[in-house]
Amino acid sequence: MGLTLVTFAIGVAGLSGLTVSLSVLGLALVKGQMVGDYFMGLKAVQGPWRWVIALWLMLPGALIGLAFTLAAQ
Amino acid sequence: MSVAMPPQASRYPPGDLAIWIFILAELGVFAVFFAAYAFARIGDVALFNQYQDTLDRRAALINTVALITASYFVVQAVAAIRIGNASGCVRWLLAGIGMGLVFLAVKVSEYAHHFAEGVTLSTNTFYMFYLSLTFFHFMHVILGMVILAAVALKARAGGYSAEDHAGVETGASYWHMVDLVWLILFPLIYVMR
Repeated sequence: MGLTLVTFAIGVAGLSGLTVSLSVLGLALVKGQMVGDYFMGLKAVQGPWRWVIALWLMLPGALIGLAFTLAAQ
Repeated sequence: MSVAMPPQASRYPPGDLAIWIFILAELGVFAVFFAAYAFARIGDVALFNQYQDTLDRRAALINTVALITASYFVVQAVAAIRIGNASGCVRWLLAGIGMGLVFLAVKVSEYAHHFAEGVTLSTNTFYMFYLSLTFFHFMHVILGMVILAAVALKARAGGYSAEDHAGVETGASYWHMVDLVWLILFPLIYVMR
């Protein structure tokens, strides 16, 4: 919830730029991993399924990060 | 805070493995949509930033809180059935569905506002992505609520127990996927610029 409020505050303040965008993206990825670990229960899983959400988060995370980096140039 | 931990370490995630294949397919589709939005934005950053400002971030915050809270309630439903508390499981599931209804109500009010201003899919590229992505997710929220309702009905009828509750975990896993997708969608569409 705290990370969500930080994201909201950044949006309301109208902060922009690559650093801000990537920071907001990073917060979202952390929250996503927490959903995978604690809500979906993957933290207690052993083997490849343990990392399925982390691996998925890397995919849109990398693509979005790349696109925003290109847009900033 | 209780979490959706299986009672003992397992090589497989909670619930039916088939739902996890389905979840991965769904997440793959959303990843493509997210990437499409981000790369399309490169073509006209000013337009995306301009129309992003017309979105209601307060409504998006309420919806984020609604979905996270719903997920927490669903985690509690799983915890309840793991100790054989079927009535508690039903109550937590209904609470989760209630928070889903909050999400739908807020989202409908957002859509109503935009449609009243004449916004359509063809207004511009930003709105095309905004409406497509959020409506696609909106439909997943509805499906998630239908699944939770079906699980709640079966739980009320005594269909789950402390020993046999994979159906509850399966429904819960799908719901958490809906929550997970929104956690990326919210900053991407409403905040990042």
